[in-house]
Amino acid sequence: MLDERELATRPIVQESVQHNARTVSNIRALTASLFGVAAGTLGLESFPGFIFYAVGTAVVSVLIFAFKAESNPKAYFWRPLQDLWAGDMFGGLMSFVLTWTLLYNLAKA
Amino acid sequence: MAIAATTINILGIVFLSHAVYSAYEHSLLPSSSLPTPPSSILPHIIDPKINLPLDITLETLFSVFLLCVGVVLSSPELKPIQWNVWAGRLERSKEARVVKEVGVGGGNPYAVLEERPGFLDIRGRRKEFAGWVREGER
Repeated sequence: MLDERELATRPIVQESVQHNARTVSNIRALTASLFGVAAGTLGLESFPGFIFYAVGTAVVSVLIFAFKAESNPKAYFWRPLQDLWAGDMFGGLMSFVLTWTLLYNLAKA
Repeated sequence: MAIAATTINILGIVFLSHAVYSAYEHSLLPSSSLPTPPSSILPHIIDPKINLPLDITLETLFSVFLLCVGVVLSSPELKPIQWNVWAGRLERSKEARVVKEVGVGGGNPYAVLEERPGFLDIRGRRKEFAGWVREGER
């Protein structure tokens, strides 16, 4: 109910919301496979690998916040906590695991 | 900005390939399969057990960070989602103000409602439609 009032008084542009979500998820997918490359090259196993992924995703969130959202995520994301910081955190996990295992086998075994 | 982002990306790719190749070469050494000494500060379960030389580790991390910055910088700009900010930017931008046809362009998202043709040549339209129907029957 609160959201509805908020949307009626300050409407948002659906097209921009979609564009932003697509941009962020593209960045996440690309960087997730990069983190897999790094984790596999370093030879991380089990928990350290996933911790590495979490730290890397947080760093990418900060980079988007600083360079793309101009330190003002409210202007570009409807719910910044969900769309920028926490959401999509696990979207790139599968590509991370894919390149992680591949590079681990290439560089280690 | 685009040139800077591309430069960062290329640098990152070069460093990353070098680091991965160095790690591969290091793995061929007989000493690389020795177990690493356990870390003194981290508990056993989150001990990374990296047995690469420090320079390769640092190069990997640095190149991935560089590539992250490059990817973020080279991605398209975000668009403001608040309607007033978005419409204000539309009104101020040069290319959006060009009127392409009636109701489209002009930097006004409501142009299609505000600009309507005053009168319609209804007889002409009717004649046109009748011709179209006759063409279909033939």
